[in-house]
Amino acid sequence: MTPVVAITDLVKSFDGRVVIDHVDLHVQPGTIVTIIGQSGGGKSTLLRCVNLLERPDRGTIEVAGEPVFAGTRVVCRDLTRLRQSVGMVFQRFNLFPHLTAVENVVLPQMKAAGVAAPQALDNAVRLLRRVHLTHRGLAFPDQMSGGEQQRVAIARALALQPKVLLFDEPTSALDPESTREVLQVMRELSDDGMTMLIVTHEVPFARRISDSVVFLDSGRIIEQGSAADVLDRPVQQRTRDFLKTFADDSPAGLEEAGR
Amino acid sequence: MIDSLRAHGWGPFHVHWSEWTGQLFAGLLRTLEYTAVGFAAAAVLGLVLALMRMSRLRLVRLPAAIYTELFKNIPLLVIVFVLYFGLPETKSVFGDWVVLGAFNAGALGLAIFYAAYLAETFRAALSSVHSGQREAAQALGIGRWSIFTHVVFPQALRLALPGTNTMLVDMLKSTSLLITITAGELMSVGQSVSSQTFEVMEVYLVLAAIYFAMCYPLSQALLWLERRVRAGAALSVRRRQRLRAARRLLAAAPGGGA
Repeated sequence: MTPVVAITDLVKSFDGRVVIDHVDLHVQPGTIVTIIGQSGGGKSTLLRCVNLLERPDRGTIEVAGEPVFAGTRVVCRDLTRLRQSVGMVFQRFNLFPHLTAVENVVLPQMKAAGVAAPQALDNAVRLLRRVHLTHRGLAFPDQMSGGEQQRVAIARALALQPKVLLFDEPTSALDPESTREVLQVMRELSDDGMTMLIVTHEVPFARRISDSVVFLDSGRIIEQGSAADVLDRPVQQRTRDFLKTFADDSPAGLEEAGR
Repeated sequence: MIDSLRAHGWGPFHVHWSEWTGQLFAGLLRTLEYTAVGFAAAAVLGLVLALMRMSRLRLVRLPAAIYTELFKNIPLLVIVFVLYFGLPETKSVFGDWVVLGAFNAGALGLAIFYAAYLAETFRAALSSVHSGQREAAQALGIGRWSIFTHVVFPQALRLALPGTNTMLVDMLKSTSLLITITAGELMSVGQSVSSQTFEVMEVYLVLAAIYFAMCYPLSQALLWLERRVRAGAALSVRRRQRLRAARRLLAAAPGGGA
C-alpha cells in the first residue's frame, strides 16, 4: 500500500543548528504513529514539515503518493490541496477567536475547498456532533474550556476530509479532565480508521492507541517499532532514560505507576 | 458685567439664529463632508501604509516608515497651508491641477495627516494578531487573500477600533482648523455670523454646543459598536443568516438544543 506520509532522509536546521537529522518515517493508511521525545528534540518541526509549515533543507516528503518535497525544493504544485489532505491540530488550539465554534468549522470548507455555505454548515454540525459538541456550536472560543476548544479544533481539521491528521502535543495545554475528553475523541477517530501522526507526552495513551512509536532525540530517530517494543522493551539506553524520567515525574507516568 | 448684560438685554440669545439656520446647516454639512471624505481616504491610505510597513521587503517598508514619521511630526495646519497656498505657486511647473481649491486641499490635508496616525494604529493591531492564527489558517489550506480578509483583518479590526474611533472624532473637531482656508465649514460660518452680529461669546458658545452635539453621540455610537464587535456580534446580514441557520441545525441535531 502507498504510505499516506513517506519521509525519506529529511534534514532541517535553524541557523545552522540541526533539528531534524536524516529522518525516515512512513505512515501507512489507517495506522497511528506516535512520536515521543524530549522537548526541543525536533518532534514538532518534523510534523510541521509534512504540510510545509516548515520548509525542510533536504530530503523527500510524499503525501498520499504525491511528491511534496524533493531534494532541496518544494515540488508540491498545489499547496492548498496538500494542506487539505493533511489536517493539523495544534497545542494551543489556534481557533479563530472572532468566530463561533460552528463558523470555525465552516470557514476552511468555504475558503479552502469552495464548499457552498449550506453544505459547509451541514458538515460542520455533523463534525461537531462527532466531537460531542453540538450543544456548544454557537459559543466563541473564549467561552469554551480548553478541552472543548481542542475538540472544535479537531472538528475543524476534519472539515476538509484529510487523509491524515497531525497532532502537535494536543493535550499539553490542558487540565486532566480536558485531556481525557480530547484523548477520548482521538480514540474514536482511531476506531473509525483515521490515519494519525501524533506528537505527545501521554505515554499510556500512546501505548494504547499507537500502531508504532518513534523515539526522536536531537533530531534523530533513536528507536522505532511497535508500541509494546519501544515503550515496554526499549533497546536503546537513551529511550530507557527518557521513559524513566517520564515514569518518575510526569502525571501520565504517575497514573501509570499507580495501576 | 452687569452693564454689558443690561446693554444686551437679559434674555439668553441676542443673535436672531433663525436668520442663520440655512448657512449654519450648510456649514454643518460641509464639516461632515470634510470628515467623511478625509476619514475614508485616511483609512484606506493608513491601511496601505500599515501593510507596507509589515512587508518583508525593505524597499516597501522604508517609504511607508518615512511617510509615517514625516507626517506625524508636521502640524496639520502646515500641511493644509502647503497644499492650499503653497502648491498653486508651482502651477507653471506642474500645470493647473496643483490649484486644489478649499475642499480638495482641506480634505487631502486631513487625509494625509490622519493616515500617518491610522497607519500606526493599524500596524499595531495587525501585528498583535497571534502568529498561530495565520499558521492555523495556512495549515487548513486557506489562501493568502482569504487569510487576510477572514482571519487576520477581522481580528485586527477589533483591536484597532478604539484607536480608530478616537481619530474619527478628533478629525471631526479638527475640521474647524480649515476656517483658515475659508473652507465654508461650520467654524467659518460661525466666524461670519459673529463678525456681522458682534455677539462673539454667544456665537462661539452655540458653535461649541453644535460640535458637542455631533461628537458626543458619535463617540458613544462608536463605543457601542466596539462593544458589539468585541462580543462577536454578527454585523453583516449574511453572517446573521448563517448563524440563524446554524442555530436551527444545531438544535435539531442529537445532543444539541442548548
